[in-house]
Amino acid sequence: MNTMKWLIKREYWEHKGGFFWAPIWVAAIMTFFSAASLFTVVAMGTKHGFQTTTVNGMTVSSVTSLSNVMTPEQQAEATTGLAYGYMGMSGPLFLVLAFVVFFFCLGSLFDERKDRSVLFWKSLPISDGATVLSKLAIGLVVAPLITLVIATLMSSILLLLTCVAAAIAGLHVFGQVYGTAGLYLAPLQLLAILPVYVLWALPTVGWLMMISAWARTKPFLWAVGAPLLSGTLLAWFNAMFNFGLNVSWFWQHIVMRGLLSVMPGTWFIHHGIQNANDLNPGMHQNVDMGTLLTHSWQTFATADMWIGIAAGAAMIYAAIRLRRWRDEG
Amino acid sequence: MSAVISARGLTKRYGKQLAVDNVSFDIPAGRIIGLIGPNGSGKTTTLKAVLGLIPFEGDLKVLGLDPRTQRDELMQQVCFIADVAILPRWLRVGDAVDFVAGVHPKFDRAKAERYLTHTKLTPAMKVKQMSKGMIVQLHLALVMAIDAKVLVLDEPTLGLDIIFRKQFYQNLLQDYFDEEKTIIVTTHQVEEIEHILSDLMFISEGRIVLSATMDEVGERFIEVMVPAEKIEVAKALKPIDERQVFGKSIMLFDGVPRTQLATLGETRNVGIADLFVATMKGTYA
Repeated sequence: MNTMKWLIKREYWEHKGGFFWAPIWVAAIMTFFSAASLFTVVAMGTKHGFQTTTVNGMTVSSVTSLSNVMTPEQQAEATTGLAYGYMGMSGPLFLVLAFVVFFFCLGSLFDERKDRSVLFWKSLPISDGATVLSKLAIGLVVAPLITLVIATLMSSILLLLTCVAAAIAGLHVFGQVYGTAGLYLAPLQLLAILPVYVLWALPTVGWLMMISAWARTKPFLWAVGAPLLSGTLLAWFNAMFNFGLNVSWFWQHIVMRGLLSVMPGTWFIHHGIQNANDLNPGMHQNVDMGTLLTHSWQTFATADMWIGIAAGAAMIYAAIRLRRWRDEG
Repeated sequence: MSAVISARGLTKRYGKQLAVDNVSFDIPAGRIIGLIGPNGSGKTTTLKAVLGLIPFEGDLKVLGLDPRTQRDELMQQVCFIADVAILPRWLRVGDAVDFVAGVHPKFDRAKAERYLTHTKLTPAMKVKQMSKGMIVQLHLALVMAIDAKVLVLDEPTLGLDIIFRKQFYQNLLQDYFDEEKTIIVTTHQVEEIEHILSDLMFISEGRIVLSATMDEVGERFIEVMVPAEKIEVAKALKPIDERQVFGKSIMLFDGVPRTQLATLGETRNVGIADLFVATMKGTYA
């Protein structure tokens, strides 16, 4: 157990840039630009009015307080939208996470062979299994947790700024927004989705790590090129010889599932398209975290999930065996 | 005491190429063995087999364990420096010490730190900022603080300048080696290690062509400076090598008694480098 702790620390030292600084920078930039545009709009609005009525080319009235522009219904909707959906503002951070995890996995067992440092790690009493599992743990658990914490902080700051800006514009929503229980639950609900993410991403992570352990050169080309090429060839043969194969099934369940499952939320695309409307229950336009959580966990009821877990586990086992015996000449 | 490393019919093929050809040897504890051979002779392959890094055929036991199936246990007792400068570039000195202390039950942190205080390395320094010599110092500090029974060094000083090389072996002898430990070294700079070796193993084309203790080598192989008039007599004793220095013939004999050779001219012990060249001549001429 102690060894695992040090192995994870070791990965963190090496990949601090991707796992910590990348989301921090993206969050900082997003916060800055959101705050800048928010306060510009508010400043313009309070000065010149949010709504102007023009009669004969002359501005006759301008409303400088939002509470006069919006109906009470609109206000209520905006408030619940904010309280339930504010975590949605951190979406881009999870896109960054997907990229970071993808390239981390692709390099995880290749880079150490390329710079020959694998010989140093192998001179220590650490099994190949522990090494590979530590890389899996940091990519699928530690990195998403770091992003989750940063996302929560950033969303909270943006929510606070939005409320302050609204107040300046004459719309006082603090009480309503911060009085909503869903607000405090949202980060925890996102955390509760993590197990779905870990297991859903397994086939992609397993595939990338297996290629990373196997490829002598150019792991990206193998990992991405091989599935794309086989999908293309299959489509071509199918069209040429009229085999009647279900090519789109191959693209969706092998190529896309194998390469894109590190992207959080892709499980909705695979099993939930027909239920897409459920995600937008009429009451408020924003997706609330509770619905998202329930739908995410429903993924466990699909064969897609379990086949993916089995395939991912098999490829991770293959990566361990490959690391054990790959001879670096 | 049984052998620390014992090989019977050790064979390794790369495709059709035979890298190690049915080799058998025993290495007892408390020895420093020099494994000497030309490039591509199978030295590194043999060491990789010992360290469980590659699959192989035949029987090989290291500390009674099979490196193929019991590598995880084996690595508690065995350590190696495979090459110079293989520490990852992002690693900091302080983190490296913390890490090895965290994962290795036989690591003596105080010893590593003591060794590091004699170098210019500081805890915050990253490997990518270091010279090659400094990287080796860090690696050696880590490895010497591990109380392993077997230490394997494959070209540990390649590309280092002479000061670092001398210091490396000196540290190894003073602070690391004792009668419980076994060290296997391969190097091209044979002259630098000859005084520290206790045993010698020459390997060529995947076979061991000579395996002896340094004392045996001193008794068996004798160089004689033969004056011109005694050359015919000397040649009758079948020298394994002959070269000319300042108009005199220097002949190398294998297994001829020293007293007999003394009648031919001045005798002296042969250097490993000369012995190596003479032994390899037949194969590579």
